[in-house]
Amino acid sequence: MKLTDDEKRMLDGQRGEPAARALDYLVQFGDAFGAERFVDVIYAHYPAEMSIYRGNVEDAIEYAATGARVCIPTTSSTLACDLEQWERVGCPRPLYELQARVVAAHRRLGVLGTYTCTPQHLGFVPPKGSYIISVESSAIVYYNSVLGARTNRGGMFTRFSAVTGKYPLMGYLLDENRRGTHLFRIRLGPDELRTDADYSALGFHAGAIVGSEVPVFDRLGTPTQSNLLALGAALATSGSVTLFHAPGHTAEAASIEQAFAGTRPKETHEVGRKELDAVRDTLTTVAPGERVDFVTLGCPHYTLDQLRFVAEWFRQHRKRVHPDVRLWVCTNRMTRQAATWEGITQQIEAAGGLVICDSCPVESHMRISTCKEFGLKTPQCDAMVTDSCKMARYVGDLLGCKTALRDRAACLQTAAAGKLL
Amino acid sequence: MTNAPYPEQRPTDPAPPQTAKARAMVRRRATGAALVFQKAFSFLGDVDMDTGVIIARGHEHEGQSIAGKVMIYPESKGSSGGCIVLMTLAKRGRQPAAIVLEKPADPNIVEGAILAGVALVCEPERSLVASVPNGALVSVDGTTGQVSWSA
Repeated sequence: MKLTDDEKRMLDGQRGEPAARALDYLVQFGDAFGAERFVDVIYAHYPAEMSIYRGNVEDAIEYAATGARVCIPTTSSTLACDLEQWERVGCPRPLYELQARVVAAHRRLGVLGTYTCTPQHLGFVPPKGSYIISVESSAIVYYNSVLGARTNRGGMFTRFSAVTGKYPLMGYLLDENRRGTHLFRIRLGPDELRTDADYSALGFHAGAIVGSEVPVFDRLGTPTQSNLLALGAALATSGSVTLFHAPGHTAEAASIEQAFAGTRPKETHEVGRKELDAVRDTLTTVAPGERVDFVTLGCPHYTLDQLRFVAEWFRQHRKRVHPDVRLWVCTNRMTRQAATWEGITQQIEAAGGLVICDSCPVESHMRISTCKEFGLKTPQCDAMVTDSCKMARYVGDLLGCKTALRDRAACLQTAAAGKLL
Repeated sequence: MTNAPYPEQRPTDPAPPQTAKARAMVRRRATGAALVFQKAFSFLGDVDMDTGVIIARGHEHEGQSIAGKVMIYPESKGSSGGCIVLMTLAKRGRQPAAIVLEKPADPNIVEGAILAGVALVCEPERSLVASVPNGALVSVDGTTGQVSWSA
């Protein structure tokens, strides 16, 4: 890689040993992929070093002890427990203590303890065209597609970018890799493509077709912020999508032609009701009428308005969560505080649900691998209903339970009934 | 040599060393015994992080260690998590000497190899899974992409 004078000085240790070492690793990384130079990144979303990978915790602590400090705004992704109510949800104390050590390490590094998969909801909204580096696939897709910021799928090296403010110019940072590859013509009416669960099913369908390429959606209805988040999260679940275009709704391409930048789509697919129903069938392994003991909303983490919907639903329907059902509504800590100020958290709790922050079932003590490490019985739930394809796809394997995909209102009906409706 | 009464007999002539070019990814040089995998390999789940022993049930190399070996495998599966496993293995001194990957290397495995100090090449000009015998002594040059071995 060709380095600027400033970068050479950093490599020579002018900004300290940790920055020099971090840049050296990034040079090796850029060289491996043939990057010619670095770009300045203005924001990083950092891995939370969840204790489910044992080596991660010791490594996070060791890295903080090197004296490294981040030099750009840096947020952190989800952890294995709700740091404020870990006991209430059954998280074992040793797991909490492990996570608390990670939190201390992050403070030392200068990483903000946001512990969320949706840092964009906390105001980390990089401008179109800016270079950033992010972990968490649903955030990566949102940043690239909806906001038009540029990031690859970050890994462990995200820490080195946070410490140096640099990332090699490669992959999705380059124009030529941001062109559409597959065209999806949507044949769905306003009632068929409306809820987050509908958009999630569309994303799950398209992601399985495109794999790691770039889908373009024609006629996406009138998507909301949470609809686009749900679509992207699912695209990165059945596939490993980093970027999509929906002209008129996403940041970069104003038309289908622009999205393909003069190239022809490799494939064109029509998507109708049949395709979305097939996704729902695939991800639903609980039969109607069968007992459900867990309902999860908030994958990705819910916004304040989505929390409000949940509270309103219980109030309007004069219903409560069935005594045999756990209802987790997952969000980040700042949004929970806002919801508490609004009285929303209290209403959800009064109805028998929990507003969870910092975490989600997949990352929690309920994960089979974590249960084994902490001597907990498995599985911790038999049947989960959710409005997210991402959650439905992962809990089957990671928690070992049956699943069902329903929209938010039907999830809440199920929570109240204790069986799948 | 010409004075020898009999023509020199070398029944155990070693086969000449063979070489192949691959794409250089992580600039380390290493030599070790080949551990050749016929199927995709996952660092997360297939190997014990503390010992480097392959623990996946029914795996073709179950019970064998990857420590100090030149791993030759067709592709990675389960791309995330490989980095932390390689790093943890390196802290215990149980990392492989080199990795030869037939498919393009994903960023996760490249990050892991850099942090663990493991030579990494990928996309060899011909299949090395098919041509390198398991156990052969293999040298990998992560700067030039050269892989050489003798049977």
